[in-house]
Amino acid sequence: MKIEWTRRTLLASGVAALATPSILRAQDGEIAIGSLTPNTGGGGPFGPNITASHKRVAEAVNAAGGILGRQIRLYQENSETNPETAVRAADKLINVNQVLGIIGTFSSSVTLGTMPKCQSANVIQMCTSSSSDIPIADEKGLVFNFQPLSPIWGRAIADLVLSRGIESYALMALNNDFTRSMMDGFIERVGQDALVQEPFYYNAGQSSYRSEVTQLMAKSPEAVFIPSYVADFTAVYKELYRQGYEGVVITTSLSTGEQFKETVGAAGDGVIHGFPVPALSSPAYKQYLEEVGLEDTGSVQHPFGTAGRDQMSALLLAIEKAGTTDRAAVARAVWDVTTGEGKTTVYNIADGLAALRAGEEINYSGASGSLEFDEEGMVLGRDFQLSEIQDGKDVVLQRLEF
Amino acid sequence: MSLQMIVNALVNAALIAPPAMAFSLLFGILRFPNFAIGGYITVGAFAAYTLNVPLGLPLPLAAAGAMALTALVVWGTHVAVFRPMQGQSAITLLVVSIAVTLILENVIRLFYSADVRGFDIPLQRPWKIWGARITPEQLEIIVWSLLIGVMLHLLLAHSRIGRAMRAVADNPMLAAIRGVNAARVTAFTTALCGALFGLTGVFAGLDLVIEPLVGWNLTIPIFAAAILGGIGSPYGAILGAVLVGLAEEATILVLPSTYKIAVGFVIIAVLLLVRPQGLFGTAEIKK
Repeated sequence: MKIEWTRRTLLASGVAALATPSILRAQDGEIAIGSLTPNTGGGGPFGPNITASHKRVAEAVNAAGGILGRQIRLYQENSETNPETAVRAADKLINVNQVLGIIGTFSSSVTLGTMPKCQSANVIQMCTSSSSDIPIADEKGLVFNFQPLSPIWGRAIADLVLSRGIESYALMALNNDFTRSMMDGFIERVGQDALVQEPFYYNAGQSSYRSEVTQLMAKSPEAVFIPSYVADFTAVYKELYRQGYEGVVITTSLSTGEQFKETVGAAGDGVIHGFPVPALSSPAYKQYLEEVGLEDTGSVQHPFGTAGRDQMSALLLAIEKAGTTDRAAVARAVWDVTTGEGKTTVYNIADGLAALRAGEEINYSGASGSLEFDEEGMVLGRDFQLSEIQDGKDVVLQRLEF
Repeated sequence: MSLQMIVNALVNAALIAPPAMAFSLLFGILRFPNFAIGGYITVGAFAAYTLNVPLGLPLPLAAAGAMALTALVVWGTHVAVFRPMQGQSAITLLVVSIAVTLILENVIRLFYSADVRGFDIPLQRPWKIWGARITPEQLEIIVWSLLIGVMLHLLLAHSRIGRAMRAVADNPMLAAIRGVNAARVTAFTTALCGALFGLTGVFAGLDLVIEPLVGWNLTIPIFAAAILGGIGSPYGAILGAVLVGLAEEATILVLPSTYKIAVGFVIIAVLLLVRPQGLFGTAEIKK
């Protein structure tokens, strides 16, 4: 049914709403939540899993009677991993659907691009983004990041490769905030002395990467570290291979997904890559696999789908805890239900709701990680994993547990 | 400058020379800078990908198919979009051509998504010659680029249609009076240039990755090469391509690599200030 909102109907509905007993009004209203995920584009391999997790948690809660006696209404939009598309979608979610929160944004540019609108409308954001600008741009304490910031990536990847006894590195990063600060984190750990030359940056969308690669290889480093995204990394890697580089190539796992492997074929073997992964031994991760219907293979599956489950669970638990849908109160309650010691640890939303309703304090420990947030809403730590491509498949080399 | 940098510059030049020549030829006949070339190159890359990977044709056949298809697309765009707008100012047509490139890019994105792809051929390790490295594939691109230059020269200088193309480019009215069928010449030129853009798509797919922005990323260097050589002068475009390639390589010796993308713009700006007709172009007399 399409409702035409004229001034008259608005007035009529306003009067009707006032005439309704307030308790009934609360029960009638659904709680609107926006899911804005990268279903296509750079985050395409991950978005659908995040979306499915949001839906799964919301449906389970609805089937069990909802939150505060209200049903959850999920509005799904595809960000296309593109800030422009995402801003339009966020506009619709905020102004048309009147959502309480927008969850599931993936790339930093999307999270940051939609942030001004979310902040001015007091909409909670939950993301898996890594730019260090995110906590700075969040002036109202409404943003929760389920992924470590990029310097932490750099440090963790460095810690993992350090144990491989590589002595000299050359560094080149894509020129954006995420990759630049990842490079800084990496240098912090391996030390300036291990670098054969000054690190440098390149732009995405260049017509060739030949001179950059020539420069990168010039001093014959044992390894090169290239924080990047998949499109530019694939072109850069092709050039490295064509210029005959035979050392170790290290990057993030975001650059080495199926697209990369298919494009470069057997030449991709030997590339080492790392990124934050779910806590494989956590009960929440095992429950997640059951919910999705996956076998526990001991290796990482659905790296971002797990975060999707945790976002929706944390948000709904926070609403229950706050006892209201007032956004600021809900945001504050996110810390209450996820962070801090001496509380009952819960691994899924059903147990969490039961404990809250029994009057207990809870600490939700998620499938993506144990989920402790700092005062800026950034997740404190995640497990990291280093893999190597062998015969076109990722083989786990090492895992760093938080 | 090391030998490797010269090799790098030559490969860059081989990649942008054919489309710069095609851009120049198109400008000569149609009299406006056609920004749609980015979209055309992307169409070529994806056509070759479709023939090569999902349909399993060997790359040379796929390349030929891509050239034919892109020729059709460029000619079709001319008939559907630019011909009805004949007589509009060059600026109007330029803006329309930007729209065309956006439309083509987004149609591709709709059907293929923004994922990166590659042709079904293994990457090759380089030959090492006096310390410089070059792969057989890169050498092939250079040889093809040279062959195309020579063939275009023969076509323009020694064939009937080539003379007609030059005549129309020089003075369309006079050519018409002398009985040159401008419509046929235009159709031939658009199709020929389309084939060159298609081939560039294949080369770019080999050299970089196949994605919807592959053509757009090459547009500025192609423009710079064509303007440097003198718009409307195909031989100038070859020289322009080599100079742009060398300039981009040399930049990294003195400036951070992130400024490399600006080199094309700087070349265009400086040249338009100092010698607007380009190195090989002849100054146009406005009456």
